[in-house]
Amino acid sequence: MDGTIGILSQVAFWGLYSGCIYILLATGLNLIFGVMKIVNFAHGEFLMLGTYITFFLFVISGFNPYILLIGSIPILIIVGVIVERLCFRPILGTGKLNEIFISLGLIYIFQNLVALIWTDEWRSMRSPYADILINLGPIQLPLDYLIIITVTAMILVSLYIFLQKTTLGRAIRAASQNRKGAMLMGVNVEKVDMLTFGIGAGLAGAAGTLWAVSGQVFNPYMGSIPAIKGFAIIILGGLGSIPGAIIGGLAIGMVENFTAFTLGGSWKDAVSFILLIVVLVIRPTGLFGEAEE
Amino acid sequence: MLAIENLNVSYSHLQVLWDVSLQVSRGEVVTLIGSNGAGKSTLVSTIFGLNSSPTGRILLRDENILGLPTYEIVRRRLSLVPEKRELFPRMTVRENLELGAYVRSHGDALDHVFELFPILKDRQAQNAGTLSGGEQQMLAIGRCLMADPEIIVLDEPSLGLSPKLVHMVLGTVQRLNEEGLTILLVEQNVRRALEISHRGYVLESGRITKTGPAEELLHDDQIKEAYLGM
Repeated sequence: MDGTIGILSQVAFWGLYSGCIYILLATGLNLIFGVMKIVNFAHGEFLMLGTYITFFLFVISGFNPYILLIGSIPILIIVGVIVERLCFRPILGTGKLNEIFISLGLIYIFQNLVALIWTDEWRSMRSPYADILINLGPIQLPLDYLIIITVTAMILVSLYIFLQKTTLGRAIRAASQNRKGAMLMGVNVEKVDMLTFGIGAGLAGAAGTLWAVSGQVFNPYMGSIPAIKGFAIIILGGLGSIPGAIIGGLAIGMVENFTAFTLGGSWKDAVSFILLIVVLVIRPTGLFGEAEE
Repeated sequence: MLAIENLNVSYSHLQVLWDVSLQVSRGEVVTLIGSNGAGKSTLVSTIFGLNSSPTGRILLRDENILGLPTYEIVRRRLSLVPEKRELFPRMTVRENLELGAYVRSHGDALDHVFELFPILKDRQAQNAGTLSGGEQQMLAIGRCLMADPEIIVLDEPSLGLSPKLVHMVLGTVQRLNEEGLTILLVEQNVRRALEISHRGYVLESGRITKTGPAEELLHDDQIKEAYLGM
């Protein structure tokens, strides 16, 4: 019995860890959707850029890869701001088809640019803590996974404090709830769009760093699958809802790992999407979505 | 203080406002009346930079603000209580009010708003979306005051309110004017609006067709017939 509980706890912990990367990706995606109502299919490419920037900084500096978050996040924020300013602002409000094609174009640009610089070989990194396991009762936890969960929690708490307690954060929340109302309060919504897109890209960059540090392999084309799952999570949690992105990310992480454990790895994506369909049938706006979204 | 000169606004090929000119002097309450579709809301949204490609001039303290982005207009101490209130439904009453002061520090304004609308103080931790229609209108007016404006535009503040609440809201408008605020009131409750106004304008089919002191308009046969049901 103890052995079963130990194994289930271990699987749950893996789900928590893999959920963390999805949460960061989906939270950024949802923040951008919430404020600008745009769908950026190239969001997975921000995660991919995050992995390569981390890899590059690691190779040239040799710093602890977790420290490199202070490099990857700001770089991705700048990339996000540039993408918003040059690509999405000119087409804002002109129709979803334009957003889709801009996103698709960005996917090809980022993938080919990275392949040109770093080739398209699969790469991986090794964390300095890769061999350290922590014994916690019946389960053994890799230290890296514990650090990743802690770092994700710290990023989410910082984001929460920023959105709740700062003037700029409140302006972002206001613009996401009522864009016209925010404009009438004197909020420069174009500046808010730019900042929000930057933060969203920065969160994807953080997810990229954690992806690389956790030892998962990456290449220039690896962003698509996490992006699809990111979209599934925000639909599951509710478009525009950050708590929804967190709960949805955790749910997908858990379901994937329990499915892989019970049915085998090849079933994990299928079961995740079955969960998505079931939730949407029962509650079409997602777990935390508002009807008007 | 606010002067609109020869304003023309079109949506695609449809012209909505034709050479509209209107003036609001410091300390005045000026009412703009007109039936549905006359162009009142278009005029209001144009003042606040929410319509593209209007022509003419909108002078605020002799500065042409036509073409400025909305946030620049609000920073010039001109604020709007919009027709649909445009609150932030999933933020608390207090957060809504604090956002009203986004362009300046709120200081005494919050106390003033709570004094005007004591119910908002009681409900300050409640989400704006859960308030009743009347309370939402009070919040919309209170939030507008938080920006410490010199002139406010109220777009149909009595819309959807019970007669008792209409009386309260328009009474508050009168009190704000007595405290020194300049007000442009866009209102379908013509009698009560003109009773608290200094002057009025009638907008019909996108054109100003009549203007004069409020008292005079109240006794105008055409207005009585068209808007007062007499």
